[in-house]
Amino acid sequence: MRIVVCVKRVLDPEAVNGYALWGRLAVDESGLAFEAVGDLPSIINAYDEQALEAALRLRDAGVDCQISVVAVGSDENADILRRCVAMGADEAILVQDQNRGVDGFRTARVLSGLIESIGDVDLVLCGRQGSDYDQGCVPGALAEMIGASLVTMAAGIALDGDAIRVTRAVPNGQESVRAALPAVVSVSNELGLPRYPTNRGVMQARRMPAQQRSADEFLGQGDEDAVELVQLMLPDAQGHCEIVEGADAREKAERLLARLREDGVLHA
Amino acid sequence: MPEHVLVVVTSPGASGLRDADREALGTATAHAAQRALPLACAVIGHNVEAAATEVAESGAAVVLVADSETLSAFASDLYVPVAAAAIRSTEARVVIVPRGPDVLEFVPRLAAHLNGACISGVTELRLEDGDVTAVASAFGGAALALYRFKAPGPRVLALAPAVAPALERVAGSTTERRELAVPDIAPRVQVVEPAGVVTGPRLEDAKIVISGGRGLGAKENYDLVRRLADALGGMPGASRAIVDEGWAEPAQQVGLTGKILAPDVYFAVGISGASQHLVGCANSRCIVAVNTDPQASIFKFAQYGIVDDCLEVLPALIELIESN
Repeated sequence: MRIVVCVKRVLDPEAVNGYALWGRLAVDESGLAFEAVGDLPSIINAYDEQALEAALRLRDAGVDCQISVVAVGSDENADILRRCVAMGADEAILVQDQNRGVDGFRTARVLSGLIESIGDVDLVLCGRQGSDYDQGCVPGALAEMIGASLVTMAAGIALDGDAIRVTRAVPNGQESVRAALPAVVSVSNELGLPRYPTNRGVMQARRMPAQQRSADEFLGQGDEDAVELVQLMLPDAQGHCEIVEGADAREKAERLLARLREDGVLHA
Repeated sequence: MPEHVLVVVTSPGASGLRDADREALGTATAHAAQRALPLACAVIGHNVEAAATEVAESGAAVVLVADSETLSAFASDLYVPVAAAAIRSTEARVVIVPRGPDVLEFVPRLAAHLNGACISGVTELRLEDGDVTAVASAFGGAALALYRFKAPGPRVLALAPAVAPALERVAGSTTERRELAVPDIAPRVQVVEPAGVVTGPRLEDAKIVISGGRGLGAKENYDLVRRLADALGGMPGASRAIVDEGWAEPAQQVGLTGKILAPDVYFAVGISGASQHLVGCANSRCIVAVNTDPQASIFKFAQYGIVDDCLEVLPALIELIESN
């Protein structure tokens, strides 16, 4: 089974959130990036790491897979691609695209061109969304562009004859679907924790640099981005909290209940 | 045939429109009024008459209906071509889709199908040089991003929760109705085991929610959350952190990748207030926070708070309520 896993490098959302909590998050002069962006660490998009884990579990289950991991962007992606190879991917491909903005449709077009050039891809795995812009448009746009079936929110994937069986996370729990191949499947955190790279994997990854391609191979002359980021902003600060005091937890609890009843928040 | 602003309602079910659908109609009405364009709404699913009637009474100039048993469950292979036909029929350049679990599968495919673009999690629509621009949440809610569109095709916007107030119904308004053809193809993705039918109350409908987070310390302590929820006649929720640890069920997860709630009162216990979680409870009428850290972000969003150990506060609250 030929599997392509699409990965992306993002600012660590925990770090961004931490800066926001400490009141240190600010937007720079360009209006398009955070001021602290040099200090904020970047990581592989966690959902994409889970997408790779889904591929590795197929292999663990005995499916004969060739797993390629792809990133679109600049040389910055070398570290996340190495990590993926160290986890167990067979090869890494970096599609150089220096003009990449926030447009997932551009990424999807580049990926669709690459996948068509590879030729016999059965399964494309992606994280359900990027933890930066939270858009999640690559899987659906890509499926449409390459004419593949689409399954989102996968918590588990198994081979089922000439199709795949995917367990999906849905509001009421989980459902199981059967999808024709070729398929694009987006993976969610319900899949569980991804494996750590092994030491052997890390050494293998060092000996296997990513293949280099260029987005220009796959973008037409007139191809423009579908969307553009105009401005990054911070939400307004919030309001006033009444801290309920007391000598100990029990007294505070008592006073809190009294306040909630007085203010009609609780009626019991 | 003038351009319409189009709302696409998917799988509404026999009981009619949901709050999310009404919010979409409200948002679309405001945008259409700004542009002096008529409003249209497509309703796709099975047994959708109640929904279609409510749409007609909400001021839509055109309601487009695709009602078939083959459309009972959402399937992008069927819904995308039907929605595309509705877009062509109404010459829509701006398409508004209510929030819902099918958005991730539906909206990007639909936009790509028509060489358009999409943005999800839209909190505000604006107008710039005669074209819609969209504000959407980013970085798990820590920031907002304003986008403009350059694609030649339609702009498909999936909304975030509580974006606009619901519309008033005007019974007996006249609306043109168009039937949409249903494609006669078998979807490539088939449900083989549906999720269990939810019997009993849904977390999204609870008026009182008690949510626990990492501050609970250990799996056994989640029991205190359940007991307080029972004592108050509410339901228990959880942060993603403890669901990932297995202390609570995925169905109880509140937040960006869990459920979005709007209860009367939301207790956030041992929860720091990370933006991804806040997205799930920010629409609560009242938030009560319990956390040992006085700097915890949750206190910026709560109306009442206790700075103390939740493992001492919870048992006290439970005992006080039960003894009443």
